[in-house]
Amino acid sequence: MKNRLRILRAERGWSQADLAERLEVSRQSVNAVETGKFDPSLPLAFKLARLFSTTIEAIFTDEP
Amino acid sequence: MPKSVATRRYIRRFAVAMIAYIALILIVSTCFHRLHPMGPFAYLLAVLPALAIIGMIVTVGLYLAEEKDEFQRNLFVQSMLWGLGGVLAVTSVWGMLESFTPIPHFEPTWTFSLFWIFVGISSPFLQKRYR
Repeated sequence: MKNRLRILRAERGWSQADLAERLEVSRQSVNAVETGKFDPSLPLAFKLARLFSTTIEAIFTDEP
Repeated sequence: MPKSVATRRYIRRFAVAMIAYIALILIVSTCFHRLHPMGPFAYLLAVLPALAIIGMIVTVGLYLAEEKDEFQRNLFVQSMLWGLGGVLAVTSVWGMLESFTPIPHFEPTWTFSLFWIFVGISSPFLQKRYR
């Protein structure tokens, strides 16, 4: 699934490790989600949306 | 990369179960070699090392229940599936060979080790895929 995580992260100057720490997951997990190799569960997607003060739809898109 | 609390617990529990397994194998082998137990006691004694193996299986279940990082949980499940698939494939092929050719008998006690060999082989490939 495509997403804007890299952009949102860059806007805040966060590294993958910074985001991982805030989400309480591994850096590898953040990388897998960011590169679209792993689709997060709804709870993790909500956590991301809250962290970036936006909506899930603003971060993820199911369009090809 | 720092390991999660669940991973650290899993490693510790698995190590304890593994040490228990080795100790029990040595104790049971010595008992059978020197004391030649008979009757129900022999059955009870023979089963003891398997309890440590069951402990390792429970450890895997506990890790899956305790790991909060869903991606790491997913990776772990994928490697388990590779282990399961590998064991089923090898034992199926070996079983057919045993049925129709004079190939040596495959001891079922090796199944658990074989499972972990496939898990061990698959893990680095899975890690590399998501790096």
